[in-house]
Amino acid sequence: MPFSFIEIEENKNRVIALILTFLVLFYFLTAYFLLIVIENYFASSQLRPGEAEFFFPPFTHVLSVLIIAALAALFHWTQSTSNLIPRMSMAVGALPIDKKDTYHQYFKNIVDEVSVALGGRPIEAMVIPSGSMNAFSLQDFNRRAVIGITEGLLSRLNRAQIEAVVAHEAGHIAAADSLSATVICSLSEIYEEIFTKLRAGLSKTRGRGVVILLLVFILLGIMNLLSKLLRYFISRQREYRADAIAVRLTRNPLSLAEALKLISKHWRGSGAQGARMESIFILNPKFNELDERENTLSDIFSTHPPVSRRIKILLDMAHLDEKTLEENLKNFRRASPVAKIQFKPDAVVKAESETQSKRWLIYSEQKWLGPFLLDELTQMRGIKPEQWVRREGQEATICAFQDWDLRNLFKKGAEKTGKDEKNSCPNCKTPLQALNYEGTPILKCSYCEGIFAEQGKISRIFIRKDATFSENTKRLAEILINTKDKFRVKYKDSKSVWILKCPNCMRKMRRQFFIYSYPVEIDRCIHCQGIWFDKQELEILQYIFENKEQFFSGKYF
Amino acid sequence: MQFSLILLAFIIVLGGWFFSIYNALIRLKVRINNAWAQIDVQLKRRHDLIPNLVETVKGYMQYEKDTLERVIKARSQAVDASGLKDKAQAENFLTQTLRSLFAVVERYPDLKANQNVLKLQEELTSTENKIAFARQYYNDEVQRFNTKIQVVPSNLVANACGFTKKEFFEIEDKTEKETPKVKL
Repeated sequence: MPFSFIEIEENKNRVIALILTFLVLFYFLTAYFLLIVIENYFASSQLRPGEAEFFFPPFTHVLSVLIIAALAALFHWTQSTSNLIPRMSMAVGALPIDKKDTYHQYFKNIVDEVSVALGGRPIEAMVIPSGSMNAFSLQDFNRRAVIGITEGLLSRLNRAQIEAVVAHEAGHIAAADSLSATVICSLSEIYEEIFTKLRAGLSKTRGRGVVILLLVFILLGIMNLLSKLLRYFISRQREYRADAIAVRLTRNPLSLAEALKLISKHWRGSGAQGARMESIFILNPKFNELDERENTLSDIFSTHPPVSRRIKILLDMAHLDEKTLEENLKNFRRASPVAKIQFKPDAVVKAESETQSKRWLIYSEQKWLGPFLLDELTQMRGIKPEQWVRREGQEATICAFQDWDLRNLFKKGAEKTGKDEKNSCPNCKTPLQALNYEGTPILKCSYCEGIFAEQGKISRIFIRKDATFSENTKRLAEILINTKDKFRVKYKDSKSVWILKCPNCMRKMRRQFFIYSYPVEIDRCIHCQGIWFDKQELEILQYIFENKEQFFSGKYF
Repeated sequence: MQFSLILLAFIIVLGGWFFSIYNALIRLKVRINNAWAQIDVQLKRRHDLIPNLVETVKGYMQYEKDTLERVIKARSQAVDASGLKDKAQAENFLTQTLRSLFAVVERYPDLKANQNVLKLQEELTSTENKIAFARQYYNDEVQRFNTKIQVVPSNLVANACGFTKKEFFEIEDKTEKETPKVKL
């Protein structure tokens, strides 16, 4: 199955021609049908009763309808193919990768590898911030191509499996059926957009509702019909072909079989944003009976072939049977791309600068904090000259200004203390340290151990499962869930609290529960949606979320 | 008159056929060159990454000087290598030494917890995969080209215009030569 760019170009032209013709025909037939109904209606009103006669519209009318239909089709086409990739990626809820995120970088590497295997064709990487497991590809007429996967997939499959999934999507791109799928989804998606806009407009303009309502009904009908008909264009054979190309690229049928098995067992994102564009995903987000059957009916209507059949073909290539695959997957553990960090202050940072390893403990609020390195102390502007400090490994307690090494700290930083600055801790006013937690970039105060996470980072932290939790965190989480009914009452009575300033946009944050069923108090910035967690709050939340089956399975609920 | 017309038509058709095959061969050749450039880019990237890795790892590995030196030596050999065969051999050796280095890294828990080392390791793994994929693509293209210049009728054009067979970028990696094992 040789595929070259020339063949892809030819394919592209065929796709355009086919879909455009279909669109014109579709609009023409719809308009023609309406024309017949309307003309017959007027004709029958002029007839005397009993003289029923069927009336065909004259040729000039048909011609004008055809021209109007062609114009409508052209308009529809240009509207839905302009800005194709940004619009479609927004519709599925995919975001460009975050370069600072370890997982995203790792995914980008994999996409780059596959693009090399395709002969150096550039492919962009995108991620859907969702816990479901699925992957998709998009392509437009300007040879721009995107492969996206969900966070859930990224955090649950190993490298070889993700590579296989990406290669499958690259197969769609190479065969250009990703292009037709993208265009077709966009064609039916544009109605959705018009519809939502119309609905927003409708709520503003009361009064002339009937006309608009009628328009909405007509639009809805056309939309439904069109999206059903467009599905004929998407053959389920293309999934087999993409699987074949994936194996050709990676020479690893087993990993693709494993990936398909794992995806088919998990939540694939039904009900989530973008799930209705089923044909661009590797497996149908909705579990569909029709997909799993093999007959002419499902060959026509279904967008995806049966998973079991796909897995079987792949396993035949790998000379393996289904049972051993399941055995293998039972004790499947993946190697994490993120270093194992215990949540205690950055073991990593310390290990790196072991050479200058003088460390101090600081006495604050009745307890010893630390030990900290000199660099870390320089960053913590909250430290005062009269504060008690102790060198690590020594018993003698002295004031900070008495220590020779620490003295310089106060000389230089004297004018900088206690200011509200961007990216400084809302509690201690010290600069926050940029860290990666679970591969996600966050800001952490090394003094009070509070954490600031920007919008969108929390879902990543929740989905990934690399962190280990201390006994203390587990205990606190259990107590919290056991007593959460009390919190609820308290929350209702209290007024909203606005104390801390958002490290990102410097406006006040609102104190609230994360959500009602996870009653951890956090401060949320209502402008940038960033969240400030005090010490341990993030771990507690994360622990509850990652063990929610245990917490909410009758025992606590 | 009639005969000369037929002859003219024959010559035109023949010429068209000849040039179409010639162009196809040239297109394949350009693609091979492009594929080779791809490999080169990735090899260079690997050469650039190795000093960083050695620098990061050095501090931890007081007792593994040998391994590190071997990696550095293998790298400089690979950088200096010219010609397809030499290059393949030198890169092979570099891959092996890198593997032994990563095996050593596994033994140091401090290193495994270091995000920088992990990142470099990921970069190198990725680059190595890219090299493998670029090689695969190159060899596929070479295979297409070599087949094309040997089969009838395009071999006539190829012989006439002096196209010669291209070399594969082969690798003598033990794990790759073995038949894939069935995991049971």
